[in-house]
Amino acid sequence: MISVALLGNPNTGKTSLFNALTRSYEYVGNWAGVTVEKKVGVLLDKKGELVDLPGVYSLSPLSRDEAVTSEYLLQTAPDVVLNVVDASQIERNLHLTLQLADYGRPLVVALNMTDVAEGRGVQIDPAELARQLGAAVIPVVARTEKGCRELLREIARTGERTVPVRTAYAAPLEEAIAELEARIPADAGPGRWLALQFLEGNEAVVQRLRKVLPAAWLDAFFRSTEAAVLARTECRDLQQYIRQQRSDRIANILSACCRRVSSSSSTFSEKLDAIVTHKWLGIPIFLLFMFLTFKLTFDWFGTPISDRLDALLSGPVSDGLQRLLQQLGAADFIQAVILNGIVAGVGGVLVFVPQIFMLFLIISFIEDSGYMARIATVMDKLMEGAGLNGKTFIPMIIGFGCNVPGIMAARTIEQPRERLLTILLTPLMSCSARLSVYSLFVGVFFQSHKAIIVLSLYVLGVVVALTLAKLFSCTLARGEETIFVVELPPYRFPQWKTLARSTWEKGKGFVRKAGTFIFGGSVLIWLLSYTGFRGWNVPIDHSFMRSIGDLIAPLLQPLGFGNWQAGAALITGFLAKEVVVSTMGIIYATSGDAGLQQALGTYFSPLQAYSFMVFILLYVPCLATVGVIRKETNSAKWTWFSVGYALIVAYLLSILIYRIGLLLGFH
Amino acid sequence: MMPLTQLQRGSRGKVTDMASVSFMVRRRLSDLGVTEGSIVSVRKMLPFGGPCTIESNGQWIAIRRKEAQAVRVLAL
Ligand SMILES: Nc1nc2c(ncn2[C@@H]2O[C@H](COP(=O)(O)OP(=O)(O)O)[C@@H](O)[C@H]2O)c(=O)[nH]1
Repeated sequence: MISVALLGNPNTGKTSLFNALTRSYEYVGNWAGVTVEKKVGVLLDKKGELVDLPGVYSLSPLSRDEAVTSEYLLQTAPDVVLNVVDASQIERNLHLTLQLADYGRPLVVALNMTDVAEGRGVQIDPAELARQLGAAVIPVVARTEKGCRELLREIARTGERTVPVRTAYAAPLEEAIAELEARIPADAGPGRWLALQFLEGNEAVVQRLRKVLPAAWLDAFFRSTEAAVLARTECRDLQQYIRQQRSDRIANILSACCRRVSSSSSTFSEKLDAIVTHKWLGIPIFLLFMFLTFKLTFDWFGTPISDRLDALLSGPVSDGLQRLLQQLGAADFIQAVILNGIVAGVGGVLVFVPQIFMLFLIISFIEDSGYMARIATVMDKLMEGAGLNGKTFIPMIIGFGCNVPGIMAARTIEQPRERLLTILLTPLMSCSARLSVYSLFVGVFFQSHKAIIVLSLYVLGVVVALTLAKLFSCTLARGEETIFVVELPPYRFPQWKTLARSTWEKGKGFVRKAGTFIFGGSVLIWLLSYTGFRGWNVPIDHSFMRSIGDLIAPLLQPLGFGNWQAGAALITGFLAKEVVVSTMGIIYATSGDAGLQQALGTYFSPLQAYSFMVFILLYVPCLATVGVIRKETNSAKWTWFSVGYALIVAYLLSILIYRIGLLLGFH
Repeated sequence: MMPLTQLQRGSRGKVTDMASVSFMVRRRLSDLGVTEGSIVSVRKMLPFGGPCTIESNGQWIAIRRKEAQAVRVLAL
């Protein structure tokens, strides 16, 4: 099998092309050292492996995920480099292509979005472009998979390929490149490419060359080259000069192979933008969109299906299982583990799968349609007030699905300080696991206002996050100013296939977690409720679970929910927030009450339930989130900090809400 | 020459000087194809000194008002 690396600018259809060329992710792992996802798939013709790399504009990294792409090219020499080029933005895209041509591996260009280019009156002659680049050029439409078969065939034709045509630079620079290239040992990598990237200021390459050449010499060489080049031009720095040289070559290439018939820009995006990024309506429209999301998730779609699933699980499924176990003559203990432990624990979480998939579907829609960049723009002023920038809102939105990928998405943020704050604050975004707790409680206490109550919790999370961001950026994490530049891609209606796939990629983690982590957790929790200081099969009031719950119940008294069940659920909820639901399911199933919903009604009042939900929202990031915070910040101090501040804020806010609620006459 | 923000809405200008734009923003803009010599236009400004949306070469970019002020353009 050959290895094929997939590279391209962001938003050029890289994901769509990956999906069209492979059946599924063969494995999703992490790149060594960083928690950036490494996604690899097998090509449909089974002739090679396709490695999906983070989208980049150039090979000089500015942010952490861009660094992954540069590192990959430094450490591995893929057999083929597959470069996705957006034909409708060909000029900008070719900058990356030319850098990849200098890299010296066989290059295949997938000329994507040819339909969009045609619509805009841009005509490109692929054969001529191929001749100019010294690379294969295959026009495709990744969205409809047009041209993908030809592309696969081209990739498989390894042996007969030549290296791409390299860019020749003007005199002093070309000589400097040759001088440096001659000094770079052959085993360090492709010499010319390394030399060029070094002169362009590629941080990853600078580090690499420092290992094989004396740092002082490298610095002096860089300075003398820059001085020699700048003496002859008006450029500000070497980077700008190299870029300009590439622009010149691109202009030449395009004059040979590209024709612009007319330039009618798409007006659909413009019209839509007039509304969704409207001066005053932008933020209200975003809130309305979120409100509809919750309406869809709860009232219109998710809950009705969940209810049916719940009825199925607690009715026919557990009855059938019970009968089966009795017929098999299983011991009481086994029956209890399965029915009161596993079915109550795992089942309690599984019934929320419909809501969670609905939410993931909508998040995928926001990501794929182009709305995400608009949300970032609309939110920028607000975020700037909090010491962040609009782009930091994107990890937070992803955090609504699950905090773990949200925190990982923070690696697209360029400034280290903003990235740290985003990592620390994303756990305050209400994730889908917490949704299962709210679903349970609003179903019992707030029947007629489900969507608005849940929306209030989400908004509360955001408000707390922004307030703390302001606080932290004035105290703990001062530093560079914030920056904000985002590309606003044209709106595109996402394809069902891509949506389904990315929803599934996100949602399967939840299902898998229910099958492994929550399964194990449920058995453990059940054991804690089945055993006590007096031995096995004790009444729940004498169980270890009760002892644990009693330990912290007094602390929770001021918040309104000082019962031991809540205490026990909160402790186990650190494993994963859904476990709160499992724990309650198990506790109340074991205590033989009629049903979870009725039992809750007797232990909580609506105000106490709300205070409990606020506490659940804020109290500590779950185990997996703490793990990823540790990895991404690479600091035990910040990890402890993220747990500590969350507990304090949760405690204070819950007290405040409960007490004020009482004063206002709620109960 | 004037700051990009003073360009009339919808009319086009040629970027002449970006030296006082902050380094990171300049890098990102050049990644997106906006450098000295590019033709740009302003599409939208959000209220309260919020970001402004510019268009260059059929592509839309949002940047902060402050950075847009630092970009000098020549009206065409
Ligand atoms: N019209 C058209 N749209 C495309 C094409 N390829 C991808 N898209 C759409 O462009 C958007 C961005 O694509 P995606 O694969 O997520 O890009 P990535 O950000 O580079 O991974 C999606 O809405 C796709 O459906 C294409 O060839 N033609």
